[in-house]
Amino acid sequence: MFGYGWLVLISPLLGFLSLSCFGKRIPRSIAGYVACATVGLSFFISLILLVHLSVLEPENRVGGVQAMYTWIDSGQFQLDFAILIDPLSVFMFLIVTGVGFFIHVYSLGYMEHDPEFKRFFAYLNLFIFSMCVLVSAADFFFLIVGWALVGLASYLLIGFWRDKPSAVLAARKAFVMNVIGDVGMLIAAFMILETFGSLSYQKVFESAPGMFLANDINVILITLFLLVGAFAKSAQLPLHTWLPDAMEGPTPVSALIHAATMVTAGVYLVARCHTLFELAPFTMYVIATVGIITATFAGTIAMVQTDIKRVIAYSTMSQLGYMFLAVGLGMFSFGMFHLMTHAFFKALLFLGAGSVIHSMNDEQDIRKMGGLAKAMPITYITFLIGSLALAGFPLTSGFFSKEAIIMASYHSAMGNIAFWALAIFTAGMTAFYSFRLFFTVFQGDSRTPDAHPHESPITMTGPLMILAFFALTAGVLGHWVDGFLSPVFGGHAEHYEDGFLETIAVLVGFGGILTAGLLYMVPSDRVAQLREVLAPIHDILFHKYYVDEIYDFLIVKPVKAISVFLEDMGEKKGVDFAVDQVGVQVREVSKYVSIWQSGRIRDYALNMVAGMALVLIFVAFL
Amino acid sequence: MGQEFILLVSATIFCIGAFGFMVRKNPLIMFMSVELMLNSVNFLLIGYSHILKSLDGQVFALMIMAVAAAEVVVGLAIILTIFRTRHDLNVDHLDSLKG
Repeated sequence: MFGYGWLVLISPLLGFLSLSCFGKRIPRSIAGYVACATVGLSFFISLILLVHLSVLEPENRVGGVQAMYTWIDSGQFQLDFAILIDPLSVFMFLIVTGVGFFIHVYSLGYMEHDPEFKRFFAYLNLFIFSMCVLVSAADFFFLIVGWALVGLASYLLIGFWRDKPSAVLAARKAFVMNVIGDVGMLIAAFMILETFGSLSYQKVFESAPGMFLANDINVILITLFLLVGAFAKSAQLPLHTWLPDAMEGPTPVSALIHAATMVTAGVYLVARCHTLFELAPFTMYVIATVGIITATFAGTIAMVQTDIKRVIAYSTMSQLGYMFLAVGLGMFSFGMFHLMTHAFFKALLFLGAGSVIHSMNDEQDIRKMGGLAKAMPITYITFLIGSLALAGFPLTSGFFSKEAIIMASYHSAMGNIAFWALAIFTAGMTAFYSFRLFFTVFQGDSRTPDAHPHESPITMTGPLMILAFFALTAGVLGHWVDGFLSPVFGGHAEHYEDGFLETIAVLVGFGGILTAGLLYMVPSDRVAQLREVLAPIHDILFHKYYVDEIYDFLIVKPVKAISVFLEDMGEKKGVDFAVDQVGVQVREVSKYVSIWQSGRIRDYALNMVAGMALVLIFVAFL
Repeated sequence: MGQEFILLVSATIFCIGAFGFMVRKNPLIMFMSVELMLNSVNFLLIGYSHILKSLDGQVFALMIMAVAAAEVVVGLAIILTIFRTRHDLNVDHLDSLKG
C-alpha cells in the first residue's frame, strides 16, 4: 500500500552515489541542484505519504510494513528487508527531508566558494539517506544500521574541512562518543533477540506487555541499554561532550545534523519504543531526570559562551533535555511536537548564525560582532523570530511546545515540583542567553570597524524566511501532531491547563529577555561588573564545568598510560622480539649453509660428479 | 668387438668429458666437454643396439643428437651475450648468483 515509500530512501541514496561515483563528470553548477532535487523529491513523497495516511481510518494507519524481500531466514530468526510507514516515521520523514531540503538550498549559497563543493553535497545526501533508514526501520537491526550510518555521516561532515586539525579532532571525538552509544544499542538488540526471539518492532511490541510486569529487571536493562544509545546520539549527560565540539563543521551541517535531525534520534527512539519504556517506569524516571538536568546544565553553560555557534549548540542540548523530559513523563507527542518546532527554530538560528559568520568573514566570536541589524535586515528579523521561538515568547511555536512540557512536568502522573522548578528556571535562562546572543550580535555598534558585513544571497535568505515562517506559526499544529501520532502512542497526551503556572512561565521568559536587554542592548560596563562579582561561577561555566578535563583525567590519561606500557612491554619486548629473533637466527644458520652456493658452475659440476660417484659406489659395493 | 670394448671406450670418453668440464674455464671448451659426455652415451647406445640386434638404441641416439644440437644453439647464444656485455669468458668470474 505504501510501496512508493521506498522512494524516500532511494532518492537521496541515488544522489549520494551519483555525486560520489561520477562526481568528476558532473559539472559543479549542476551538482548542488542534483543534491537538492533528490532531497526535494523525498520531501514531496513524504507529503504524499502524509496525505495518504491522513485519509485512512486512524486504526489503519499503524503497522504499514513494506517488505521488499526476506533477507535472512535462519531457523526461528527471520529478517526482512523492510521499511515501516506509520504516522511516527512519516512525521520524522517530513522533518528530516523538509528541514533537510531547506538546508540543502541554503548550502548552495553558503558553500559556494568551497573547493570541495561536490563532496559536501554527497555527504549531505548520505546523511539524509541514513536518517531516513533510521526512522523508517521496521526492526531493531535496521535501526542500528541507520544509527551507525548517521554517525558516519556526522563524522564525515564534522571533519569536512580535513586540513583543520581541530575539525578532525572534533570528528573523532563525536565518532567515539557515538560508538559508545552504538555499543549500548547493540547490547540492547541482542537482549531483545534473546528475550523475544525477533527483532521486528511489531512482534516485540506486541508480545512485550504480556511478558513483563512493570519494572521487570529484564525490561529495565533493555531500556537502559537502549538509553545509552539515545543519550550518546542526543548529547545528554554524561555523553554530551561531542556536540559543542561538533560545531567545527560547516554551519549548514550544524543546523542539519547537530540541531534539527540527528540529535533528535534519541527522542525518536524512546518514542518509537514507548511500549517497552512504559513497562519500565524506573527507566522513564531516569530519562526525565537526565533530561531536565541536561537542560539546566547546558542552559547555564550557554549563558557565558562567546562563540556564536557554541551558544546555539548548548541551547540545542538544553532543548533536547526538554524533549527527554517530555518523553520521560510519558508525554510522547509533546516530545515529538517540541522536536518539530525545535527543528524549525534551531535550524533557523543556526542558518542565521551561518549567514552572520559568512558576512563577517568566518568570525565566530560574538564579542567582535555588533550592530549587524542595519547591514543584514533579513537575517536580523529571522534571527529575532528564531530567538523569540527559542525563548518561548507567547504565540511563537516554541511557546506552545515548551508550555505543554512545562505544564506536564508538574501536572502529569510522574511530574513533581522539582522537575517544574528546573524546567521554569531553564526557560528563564533560555530567554536570557538567546537574547544575550541576539543583542550582542545585532544591536549596538560594530566592534570590528574594518569588517564590512553584507546581506547574504537569496539561496541563503530564502530558507531563512521559510523557516522563520514555520518557527513563528508551527505552534498551531500542536493538536494536529497529537491527533496524527495518537494511533502510534495509543492515545492522546493530556494537555493540562493551569493559568497560574502558565503566567509564571511567561513572566519568567519576559524576565530573561528583559535582563538580557538591560545588560547587552546598550554597551555598558554593567556586564563587566557582574562578571567580576560572579567570577568563580563564571569560570566554572565558561569552562563547561570542566567535564572535558575530568574525562581527560579519568579516562584518556589512564588509557594512554596503559597503552604506552603495553606498547613497550607487550609489543616491543614481547611480540616484536620473538618475531625478530626468528629472522636473526635463520640468518645466522644460513651463513654456514650458503657456503655451498658459491655461484661458480665448476663447483657445482664437481659436487654433482662427486655425488654421482658416491651413489655409484653405494649401488655397486653396498 | 665385445661388450668390454664398448663399455671401456664409452666410460673413458665420459670421464674425459666430465674431467674437462670440471677443470677448464673457457665456456666453449666446457661445451665441447659436455658434447663428449653426450656422445659417449650415444656410443654406448649404438654399440648395444648392434649387440642386441635392436633399433631402439639408435632411435635414442638420434634423439640425443637433436637435443644436443638445440642445446648448443641456446648455449652459444648465451655465451655470445655474456661476451658482449662483459668482454670476459672466464666462468669462474660469473659468480653473481653466489649465496
